[in-house]
Amino acid sequence: MSATMTPAETPNTDLSATSDLGRFLVRRPAALIGLTLLVLQILAIIFAPALSTHDPMQANALRSLQPPSWENWLGTDVSGMDIYSRIVYATRINLLISVTAVGAAFIVGVPIGLLVGYYRGWASNLTMRVFDFVQSFPVFVMGMALVSVMGQEIWNVAIALGVLFTPVFARLIRAETLSLRERSFIAAAKCSGATDIKILFRHILPNALSPAIVQISISIGMAILLTAGLSFIGAGVRMPTPEWGLMVSTGSQQMILGIWWVSFFPGLAIILSVLSFALIADAARDFIDPRRAR
Amino acid sequence: MTISDTWRRLPRPVRIVLARLPLLVPQMLGVIFVTFILVRLLPGDPVLLMLGNMATEESIATLREQLGLDGSIWSQFLVYFQNLIQGDLGVSMFTSNPVIKDLLERAPATLELITYAMILTLLIAVPTAIYATVRPKSIVDRASRVYGLAAGSLPDFWVALLLIFIFFTTFGIAVAPFGRIDPMLSAPEFVTGFYTIDALLAGDLQAFLSAGSRLLLPVITLAIVNSGALMKMTSSAFGAIWHSDFIQHQRASGVPERKIIRAALRNSLPPLITLTGFLFGFLLGAAVLVETIFSWGGLGQYAVMAVINSDYPALQGFVLVAAAFILIVYLIVDVLYEIVDPRIEV
Repeated sequence: MSATMTPAETPNTDLSATSDLGRFLVRRPAALIGLTLLVLQILAIIFAPALSTHDPMQANALRSLQPPSWENWLGTDVSGMDIYSRIVYATRINLLISVTAVGAAFIVGVPIGLLVGYYRGWASNLTMRVFDFVQSFPVFVMGMALVSVMGQEIWNVAIALGVLFTPVFARLIRAETLSLRERSFIAAAKCSGATDIKILFRHILPNALSPAIVQISISIGMAILLTAGLSFIGAGVRMPTPEWGLMVSTGSQQMILGIWWVSFFPGLAIILSVLSFALIADAARDFIDPRRAR
Repeated sequence: MTISDTWRRLPRPVRIVLARLPLLVPQMLGVIFVTFILVRLLPGDPVLLMLGNMATEESIATLREQLGLDGSIWSQFLVYFQNLIQGDLGVSMFTSNPVIKDLLERAPATLELITYAMILTLLIAVPTAIYATVRPKSIVDRASRVYGLAAGSLPDFWVALLLIFIFFTTFGIAVAPFGRIDPMLSAPEFVTGFYTIDALLAGDLQAFLSAGSRLLLPVITLAIVNSGALMKMTSSAFGAIWHSDFIQHQRASGVPERKIIRAALRNSLPPLITLTGFLFGFLLGAAVLVETIFSWGGLGQYAVMAVINSDYPALQGFVLVAAAFILIVYLIVDVLYEIVDPRIEV
């Protein structure tokens, strides 16, 4: 009974959790694919110099817009830079920005959402209005404006995205908290003398967390996509830094002429990267909350 | 006693709206202030940009005064605010038109784009998510899971380029990806600002087909990219209800499935409404990229031009209009949310 109602109170030793995870992964090939892709990205981050075939920022006017070949596996862009090597190096920039931004937003947003959902009053209302306000700007335009104001550096892109994602987590947790706080098991916890802190973090938080975990996948995806989008229109990372969105942008003029590889492969890298986080978080949701796995 | 009695006697929806409306004023003021500060802190001096490197000290000072950029930031804000109340958003430095005129001209293009994209996205996502939840392990369920994960990973600007490459460059079946209507045709007479609707109202079939075919690729781009996330979140919200005790009980009591689905749908409306609100705001941002690629001539493309050219008044105007628009969307979302969930006290 208590195991089904408050997962947090189930004693879960490391040993059984590990073997559970192992069995879970075997049943979920999608999660395995996600993990594999993530490992590949981590390898690319660590061993970028060894894995690349060219200097990622070395222009070569003689080899401009070469199609994929033995010399340049994925072809070259308009300034003759090797697309494969740039994609490998870009993993560093893209993951650094996105994971930092979403991690910060999660850590700040979740406690805010709990508090705002549980305690009602002017402070909660004011917080929600401030969030409305941050979110009332179109995400992409707000990102554009923030990055332009702070200067086009990668840390500023991460900070801007972190600011934009915080309300998303807070809102999701708040929505869950609003309905959970009316439930009878919370009343029961209150009657048995649980403090507010205990109710919030041991009873409400575990039950309110799954949408926020799904949201991590969407947010890391969005962070990678937004970073790429900002660079695409020239308001994010700048040439010659290797960044996936920027690379798509350098090929966008040629795409309509049939020179597809310049934009195509970096776009594929974006998709696989975002996909890996989506697959892992999706599996994580089912692992944490088996009721939904059916 | 009398006030609270009167308050309580008002119908619930009226109470919800009345409780929310006054919040719009400080929100709008905040938006105006932050927009001003944000945009004014943008790097790049527009005066130098407009006059070039050869400008004399004198001409710089004159232009700065003309543009109202000479005083302190507070006096600049006061001037801006006074003008704003009179509907004056300043003059775009790039197009030399009043910003309000530029924005009004371009708003229908963007609204038409995101409205169709929104409709297509909802039409794809919601029924699929519901069917997939009600018939687990069906082909639709499996396909929607894969799609929900994959589509969320697609960069919209890349999808747009790919669609152009496939359907225009390679197969030549799509119309040229430039603008809202064939340049050889004249735009239909302005009624709603939506070319498709205006063309129909004018009985101009050729313009309707042209506008419709130009809409296809950008709308499909936005729908392909955004319906995945909506599908995933809809099935998450709907699924939670579908597996809840009261639905199980209905099923055990032999209630027809159609009725059960309706009950579950009714109960998953609050999160659905919130998601739809998010989607609308998100589409407005996504339109910036897609409009740029398709030379759509809407608000998004205007905003990109404004950022690139450090066109303060234009960017301020755009952000302000977009923010106001989304504030209203969220107001409607909040009101609907409270109306459909009678457990929330007003």
